[in-house]
Amino acid sequence: MTWLEYPIYVYLTSSLWIAGLLLLWIPKTYRFHLLAGILVIGGIVSLGYFMTALWISLERPPFRTLAETRLWYSMFLSVIGLIIYYRWKLRWMLVYTLLLSILFLFINYLNPDTFDKTLMPALQSPWFVPHVVVYIIAYALLAVSSLIGIKGLVLMRMKKQITGTINLADNIVYIGFAFLTFGLLFGALWAKEAWGNYWTWDPKETWAFLTWMVYLLYIHFRVRKRMNINTALWVLSLSFVILLICWFGVNYLPSTQSSIHVYSS
Amino acid sequence: MHKKKTIWEFPWKYKESFTIAIALLITGFAIEYFIGKNIIWLPTWPTNLIIIIAFWAYFIFLDRYVKHPIINWLSSTYAAISAISVFTALILLMGFIIQSDKGTPSFISSIGLTHVTSSWPYLITSMYLMIILGFTITRRFFPLRIKNLTFFLNHGGLWLVIAAASLGSADSWKLSMVLNEGEQSNIAGDSRNRNLFEMPFKLELLDFDIEEFPPNLGLLSIKTGKLIIEKGDKLIEVEAGYEDKVGDWNIIVETYYPSAVVDGDKYVVSEVMGSVHAVFIVAENLLSDEKRSGWVTNGSMMYSPEYLILDNDHSIVMTIPTPKKYSSQIKVFYPNGDIEDVFIEVNKPARILDWVIYQVGYDEKMGKWSKSSILEVVRDPWLPVVYVGIFMILAGSLYLVWMGRTKN
Ligand code: HEM
Repeated sequence: MTWLEYPIYVYLTSSLWIAGLLLLWIPKTYRFHLLAGILVIGGIVSLGYFMTALWISLERPPFRTLAETRLWYSMFLSVIGLIIYYRWKLRWMLVYTLLLSILFLFINYLNPDTFDKTLMPALQSPWFVPHVVVYIIAYALLAVSSLIGIKGLVLMRMKKQITGTINLADNIVYIGFAFLTFGLLFGALWAKEAWGNYWTWDPKETWAFLTWMVYLLYIHFRVRKRMNINTALWVLSLSFVILLICWFGVNYLPSTQSSIHVYSS
Repeated sequence: MHKKKTIWEFPWKYKESFTIAIALLITGFAIEYFIGKNIIWLPTWPTNLIIIIAFWAYFIFLDRYVKHPIINWLSSTYAAISAISVFTALILLMGFIIQSDKGTPSFISSIGLTHVTSSWPYLITSMYLMIILGFTITRRFFPLRIKNLTFFLNHGGLWLVIAAASLGSADSWKLSMVLNEGEQSNIAGDSRNRNLFEMPFKLELLDFDIEEFPPNLGLLSIKTGKLIIEKGDKLIEVEAGYEDKVGDWNIIVETYYPSAVVDGDKYVVSEVMGSVHAVFIVAENLLSDEKRSGWVTNGSMMYSPEYLILDNDHSIVMTIPTPKKYSSQIKVFYPNGDIEDVFIEVNKPARILDWVIYQVGYDEKMGKWSKSSILEVVRDPWLPVVYVGIFMILAGSLYLVWMGRTKN
């Protein structure tokens, strides 16, 4: 399997997801919702199949390039969307996460990677997979929490009840933040093992730290529940911008002359 | 009705907290501007430990015996939010500005923004953060209850990590050692090799070894000097019998020698120094049935690479293999006369006395025939403290995942 076969899976996965989403709009009957769930899971399985096959033929975990990590982002976003949909019955959440996942799949479609098996020695470590996996879970959850934050702001404008929304945001931030902390600390432990430094303020590290700090800020805004909810929601929504810079933008910043984290050229 | 509180009237809230935090940041910039950057001095053992103990004595004393609204403010969420915000703002600036003082000095560099992590504004805002965090921990630590445990793990762990990593950095050593095969050495140099130090042990490089990823073949455009590759496709593999289409050509790899030298007009298997990867290729033009064949190699420090010209714009070239693994086999001579063999690889450092030895490089000009190995020797006596802090935060975060935000 190489990236040449990728388009088939993009179309298969996205059409399954879109079909699943459309079913959710058919008046609520149990049968249709079950079918929708099956379609969404089918899309996840097809994406998962491509990723597994790519992993096997690369002979290394597909975490090295941006395109490879985008696959994981799509994967975790869709899984998390589905879980949240079933756990909290939030239809819009599934819509958001699946559309975002489809967007990532298409970015890769327009911009695929060259197939490259090499993996530099520093990345050949037992820390590599857990470090990247927890980060991706964290990013997916925090991205979702920020979307909830934006929804909260809209609801406040419309003078609607937002207690449920903000409690959900709190929960997801807590979990996402914990994963982000794992990612940061695993990274530090790994760096110590590989290079003898836990933290070097390399641009990618700086931005990962910034992401951690802005969500930390949100958590502390919410410690006292009487505090201004509007401000907290703004912090949460704007955190998304930092998250996006950290995830996609770092490579383009002027401050990134040479970063150990930019592998793809 | 209650009267609106004026600023500086207790209890202090956002206005006062942010005024103080921003004033501290500006003070930092001013000190950096007027006094300069070379004044900051990091304390070494045991001064750093004394500073840490003094901090805690101070936190606990004030918390217990001084009843003043400022003490309450120091552990309030308002103060915490102001400290986190200002510190984040400073790091945000750092995220956008190149951290290097190489260019011409400007206003930005004179207020410290080109070397944030060794600047006064950084020192002052992080101290503010640490003091607020310290008071917060002190207040929540008593009474000691299970409910406060996660709070203590997260906040205490963070405090420990930052304190041990920053105050401890003056006690840590990071030196570099270059070993040549067959030579014994106990000399290490600091980052710019300005100062040399004698290590308590002697090292001898027995063997340095590199394993490489196999090279690939690609179609090169002679005009642009770039490889032509369809998006998403892979390069041609070097493997006897491998066949692939690139551009208008069908390429067959007839022979592959991972290690060969030139002999007249052909290549023969040989392991001598400077040997190359060599393939014999047959290329057929799919449109005109033209055929080309010849040897293609990656070259080395002794031989120049060979490529196969297909037409006036295209040729087949071999990529330079990248290292997969490199490692050193080293004999260690301890001061007490003991001798031990150790093996060091990237990601697999070795521990010798209280030093940790990392594989960082080799002689890149010689590539896989390098006879020297570049090592880094690191001593970090505060490391266990940092690890305790890290594991406290990990445990605290696990609890966050488990509970979510279920309280209140
Ligand atoms: C590892 C990083 C941190 C984590 C995971 C964290 C998490 C939390 C959580 C979950 C709470 C709510 C506790 C509760 O309601 O029982 C809290 C409260 C608080 N945190 Fe943090 N925090 C962190 C860092 C900081 C920092 C850097 C500061 C200050 C500079 C700080 C200051 C505070 C304060 C003042 C409270 C309120 C405590 C109270 O009023 O009882 N925290 N933190």
